[in-house]
Amino acid sequence: MKRALLFLTMLMVSVTLAFAQQRQITGKVTGADGSPLPFATVQIKGTTTGTTTDQQGSFKLAVTGSNPVLTIRSVGFATQEITLGNSNAITIKLKEEDKNLQEVVVTALGITRKKNELAYSAQTVSAEELNRTRDPNVVNSLSGKVAGLEVRRNSTMGGSTNIVLRGNKSFQNSNQALFVVDGVPIDNSTTNTSDQASGRGGFDYGNAAADINPDDVQSINVLKGAAAAALYGSRAANGVIMITTKKGRKGLGVTVNVGGTLGTMDKSTFPKYQKQYGAGYYDQDDSRYESPDGHFLYRDIDGDGQKDLVVPMSEDASFGAKFDPNLMVYNYRSFDPTSPQYKKPSPWVAAAHDPSYFFKNTTTSNTSVSIDGGGDQGYFKLGYTKTIENGMLPNAKLAKDMLNFGASYNLTSKLTASAAVNMSKVDGKGRYGTGYDEFNPMQGFRQWWEMNVDVKQQQEDYERTKLNKSWNLQDPNNPVPIYTDNLYFMRYENYEKDNRIRYFGNVALNYKITNWMNLLGRVSMDTYTQSQEERNAVGSKNTSSYSRYDGTFGEYNYDLLLNIDKEINNNFKFTGLVGGNVRNTRVKYVREETNGGLVVPKLYSLSNSVNPIQAPVEADSALQVNGIFASVGLGYKKMLFLDLTGRRDQSSTLPKGNNTYYYPSASLGFVFSEVVHAPWLSYGKLRVNYAQVGNSAPAQALIDAYDKPSGFGSVPLFSVPATKANAHLKPEQTKSFETGVEASFFQNRVSLDVTYYSSKSIDQILRLPVSRATGYDQIYINAGTISNKGVEVSLNVTPVKTRDFSWVVGVNWSKNKSKVLDLPSGVDFIQLGSFTLQGGITIGHAKNDAYGVIRGTDFIYDKSGKKVVYDADGDNPGYYEKTGSANNVIGNYTPDWIGGITNTLRYKDFALSFLVDMKHGGDVFSLDQYYGQGTGIYASSVRLNDNGKNIRDAVEDGGGIIFDGVTPDGKTNTQRVRVSGTRGLGYNGFPSKAFVYDASFIKLREVSLTYSLPVSLMSHIKTFKGIDISLLGRNLWIIHKNLPDADPEENLSAGNIQGYQSGVYPTYRTFGCNVRFRF
Amino acid sequence: MKKIFVYISVLVLATSCTKLSSLNDDPKKAVVVPGEMLFSSAEKSLYDNLMSNNVNLNVFRLLAQYQAQVTYITESRYDLGTRNIPQAFWQALYRDVLKDLSAGKALIKADSALLPADVIIKKNKLAIIDITEAYTNFILVTCYGNIPYTEAMDINKLDPKFDDQKTVYYDLLDRLKADVAALDVSQGSFGSADLIYQGNVASWIKLANSIRLKMGLVIADVDNAKAVEVINDAATNVFTSNADNAILKYLSSEPNTNPIWVDLVKSKRKDYVIPTTLVDPMNATNDPRRPFYYTATTPGVYVGGVYGSGNVYSSYSHVSAKITAPDFEAILIDYAEVEFALAEAVARGGFSVSGTAADHYNKGITASITYWGGSAADAATFIAQPTVDYTKLSGTWQSKIGMQKYIALYNRGYDAWLEWRRLDYPILNAPVDIAYSNIPVRLTYPVSEQNLNKTQYDAAAAAIGGDKVTTKLFWDKF
Repeated sequence: MKRALLFLTMLMVSVTLAFAQQRQITGKVTGADGSPLPFATVQIKGTTTGTTTDQQGSFKLAVTGSNPVLTIRSVGFATQEITLGNSNAITIKLKEEDKNLQEVVVTALGITRKKNELAYSAQTVSAEELNRTRDPNVVNSLSGKVAGLEVRRNSTMGGSTNIVLRGNKSFQNSNQALFVVDGVPIDNSTTNTSDQASGRGGFDYGNAAADINPDDVQSINVLKGAAAAALYGSRAANGVIMITTKKGRKGLGVTVNVGGTLGTMDKSTFPKYQKQYGAGYYDQDDSRYESPDGHFLYRDIDGDGQKDLVVPMSEDASFGAKFDPNLMVYNYRSFDPTSPQYKKPSPWVAAAHDPSYFFKNTTTSNTSVSIDGGGDQGYFKLGYTKTIENGMLPNAKLAKDMLNFGASYNLTSKLTASAAVNMSKVDGKGRYGTGYDEFNPMQGFRQWWEMNVDVKQQQEDYERTKLNKSWNLQDPNNPVPIYTDNLYFMRYENYEKDNRIRYFGNVALNYKITNWMNLLGRVSMDTYTQSQEERNAVGSKNTSSYSRYDGTFGEYNYDLLLNIDKEINNNFKFTGLVGGNVRNTRVKYVREETNGGLVVPKLYSLSNSVNPIQAPVEADSALQVNGIFASVGLGYKKMLFLDLTGRRDQSSTLPKGNNTYYYPSASLGFVFSEVVHAPWLSYGKLRVNYAQVGNSAPAQALIDAYDKPSGFGSVPLFSVPATKANAHLKPEQTKSFETGVEASFFQNRVSLDVTYYSSKSIDQILRLPVSRATGYDQIYINAGTISNKGVEVSLNVTPVKTRDFSWVVGVNWSKNKSKVLDLPSGVDFIQLGSFTLQGGITIGHAKNDAYGVIRGTDFIYDKSGKKVVYDADGDNPGYYEKTGSANNVIGNYTPDWIGGITNTLRYKDFALSFLVDMKHGGDVFSLDQYYGQGTGIYASSVRLNDNGKNIRDAVEDGGGIIFDGVTPDGKTNTQRVRVSGTRGLGYNGFPSKAFVYDASFIKLREVSLTYSLPVSLMSHIKTFKGIDISLLGRNLWIIHKNLPDADPEENLSAGNIQGYQSGVYPTYRTFGCNVRFRF
Repeated sequence: MKKIFVYISVLVLATSCTKLSSLNDDPKKAVVVPGEMLFSSAEKSLYDNLMSNNVNLNVFRLLAQYQAQVTYITESRYDLGTRNIPQAFWQALYRDVLKDLSAGKALIKADSALLPADVIIKKNKLAIIDITEAYTNFILVTCYGNIPYTEAMDINKLDPKFDDQKTVYYDLLDRLKADVAALDVSQGSFGSADLIYQGNVASWIKLANSIRLKMGLVIADVDNAKAVEVINDAATNVFTSNADNAILKYLSSEPNTNPIWVDLVKSKRKDYVIPTTLVDPMNATNDPRRPFYYTATTPGVYVGGVYGSGNVYSSYSHVSAKITAPDFEAILIDYAEVEFALAEAVARGGFSVSGTAADHYNKGITASITYWGGSAADAATFIAQPTVDYTKLSGTWQSKIGMQKYIALYNRGYDAWLEWRRLDYPILNAPVDIAYSNIPVRLTYPVSEQNLNKTQYDAAAAAIGGDKVTTKLFWDKF
């Protein structure tokens, strides 16, 4: 922002030359600590002659007259006048100005305001803070840096990140914060399917805000509450991430960044396997295996007439025979004629290469160039960034090209035209499968695996044949894959490909009617087209197939704003805004796939379908909102500020009569430091505000239309859709109240911002699940109330500040408490997603509970809270009893509080910064533990029992477990029971509740060390204005967590379904280096 | 420069003048459709759901022990809650079958017929839809007990009450009687939109009567007089040959294949073998249907797996290629079943059904064997065995008819489970550690009803004697 202001200042100073009797003076402008101040303006008082300082704070200026007075201005410093005298070389030290009074922030609709005038909470993140560790997804970079902002990422390549401000407010509609770039809303939706979001499988195609070029970001201002964002009307409920891009400055500047990162697996987020038992679901009562010892298949493989031991290859569990290198068995390679092991046995041993062998180090490379320049009449900027990311799985690559151009030109002294165009292209290949899906190798590695399977051998088998040589064969008589393909075959043959090309930007004309009033007309657009192609090669377990999705998104905004900023007299200031906005959004897509297989292998085209393809799924929806708005601001003596705003929206997605609605807000700020004068108090402000905003209905929710399944032969079919439309919807509303105090002390060495807020969201637009006896799954309805209350604290402390050394600590902390106050009558739970999640889990909302309740089966407890086991004469004696229904509340994913601490240490030209990011509370259900413990792949399944024996040993031999609990009659359980492939551990013996974990974590999220080549050195290298070298690290260390073998932060997709893990990927520690050249 | 602002203002105004409400229409979907096409869709859904071999939806082949599981044995050990199966089946019948029927009915009713023939055709269509609705409700009421009925299919009633199962059942009998009376063979009905009989009205009359015969026997233990009334009226015009069977001929490509192909072949999964419960009695009688029902482990040898335990897929017989063919036809009700019903009526006595029980029994077996691909001679040889011959076999009529009807109903899990609950034959195999008395005799209500319709759910659970799988329904006296 500083530069934009500076630029404006510069415009006022037109440089004129050539006076008689002039002399050349040279000077240097520095701060109080002596550090050079680049871009300061130096002006001869009473004239329009002047210049700016360079990177070293130096300037040259021709002056006339004997005693000229220079006025020196620099943003953040008090303006100083100096009488030159006869000196021809001077050094001017500027005093820092109280930055609270001067700092400007970008508020709703792109309007800049002084921070001290704001009566609501807004927190700024600078480009430097944001891009310290250069995450390719700008959304990830916000984690831990803003109080009240919760970011949930995942480790898939280019995966989506969930971003929520001040808690979830909408039961089912989007809770994602609105992204606005230079005043223009940018889409941040995902195109992930509902199956993907609920863990049933599919690819995570990421969130669209990842298309924003991190290198083009100047600063991010986060408008957290409704009052701050009320001018956005129906989109403001979830808060706004306002991104301001870089502007050009006077002269020519070129910046080049070159960098790369290397990622290595954080082993604490990957399973620890047992290495003692191999394939099988052995249980002594279960006679499924044929060999005399009951662990193997028993067939004559080598043709000698004697039966041989064969690994039960179809069994994706490791509750089989104990490994014994002297035991020779036939495994899947014995049935592969191309294998050297064909018809030969191998020793029965644990695999030399467990699943971790499958993972590679990740790499990214990043190159960006930005050029900017400007003169008296305008500026331009041009930026290009290319990132290439190679994922942790084989054959995974994501390439991004981002190009941006921005320019502004003063057509006349009053009229300025500006434009910004951004183009991005994202090409993905081999994104990772997610959830419970055969395209997700983690499903096997965390849930269903044989510890005798050597992953390196699988690689060799694929590379030798390029065929689907799976370890998971159905039977020796029919050696074809049953559940799992060869994972290398899957990655190299069944990969997906996707592509998104996006353009967004705006053109604007700004007419300065008077120096206190301007009129802005702006047309902006955000459009993208994307395609996704998925394939199953001939030879896969699945029927071969090719499917594609082609979609377009377009949003157009038309704004007309009259902006007034007038100092009426010394005491009163008036700001005002009147405007109109038309927003038009259109989303279209087509999805289609082959039917019955592919005719020609490796030809991925729809025409290569065995059977005629079915009609594609087509969608086409539009929505428009017409809004008019006004705001009035009154300021009294830089002390009292009152803002009133109002907006009226008319939405196409609501029925006539209900489609017009109003959003008012009122804010009051009181700068008490204008009244209370104390030496230790630098600045202080109290603020309070109230606002009412809302959400309109999704498109096409008003009118019933029929589903059209494919006809039965030549007989056409129609069907009533599962969701009943509602012609009487009205907008959902959020009423919010906020109060806070901002204060800084000891010459701004300590600054504090504390906010309390409370919001209540009513008339939620729900797809309310209903009794299926109505003939529908759900109906659109306005119902339900949720409240969110919370506290946010930002604290900045500069414990040390000397000329050479400084240390700054920034703390962000927030606590949000949500409560479902009301649900429609007769309904005690609203489920998110249309399916029960695997593991019998539902996630949703229960009355009087926080947002995001996890429900499932629970233990049965006696009066003292002890777990009950079945008694000796019932079914399954000695094992835990489970509730019959899956309706029990067993967790809640909403965290208790989140926080981040950033430390920045500077010593001369070195800067070291590190961010500790943390989340406390909130639960996660792990389907990985639910199944993985049951299939006996984890090290925990071979632990010792109270006898000091392996729990897998037979009960007669002292093995087994006595489960901690009581019998139904209240006696301590003493029944020793066996642990086997069908009972005891994981899903085989425990209710879902046992797999709900506390999702708290403390992470060392970011570390960076930057070295700027000293000015003294730079002056010798004429080409460069500066070189900065930084070493960086992301997600380096999970200092604390309670979830075993996985990162508690890991999610499936952005969206409202959180707190559920299925086949999640390990977290990678990323190390990198970046060099920035400034020319 | 002022012109520019005029232009901008005009642009803004022009855009905002677009008719807002019309933007919200879905240009890709129909708002008005012919009711007949909803009926076609409902018919297909009814067959799909009853035929499904998907463990998330239809586990009746497990409950009837026509199949045993291989590796993942949760459902065969009667844990039906983890996959929420009661909810899936309930939802499928209410939403995918009954809703399309009721919406189709409303649309057809609203048609203003012009010609006298059209009036009859319309009446026939409505009666046929009503028969389909009655049959679907019959499945629901015999699966769950009390069900939403009078208040079902009404979106303005979000908490529909559960009606008493017996009242519902008797109402269904009345509706079927009225439907038969309403059908007029002088005109057609749906034509090709009827996927079962191509609109043949006489066939629908036979089907309705065959359903009435079946339903009459279900209540014979608890209300013999009503059973007699229903059956004496219906049994005179029921199926008389396999040509009358209510079948849906599936097609060879998706999405119109038999769901069994999707679940067992396309999925490439190998989850089921045939248990001893079915294979052993068929082996003991050299049943000629074995090669049509399931595979041989070695030529001519059929081996059953253990129900309720894990099994090695390749060691046991599994579902035959005939059944897993994509275009394998599906049966709703068949002639063999009707003959077994008549046999039972004679054996019970008191019904005006002609012939002997043995005669009907033999006809039922013969119809089944010839339907599946055996010859009449095969059937005759089979029946002549003392282990099959009705007159030579010892045991009650329930055990004799029960066993042969069980074999004949193969692949129709729901019907077999219904017959087992009613006749208590054949004797099933209780899984290890599970008592015979804990084998489910109904499905519990869906979790969604507990969550969304709690008051009515609680009342229904109390009324039937508890929402448990072991709660016997009103007709299940023994």
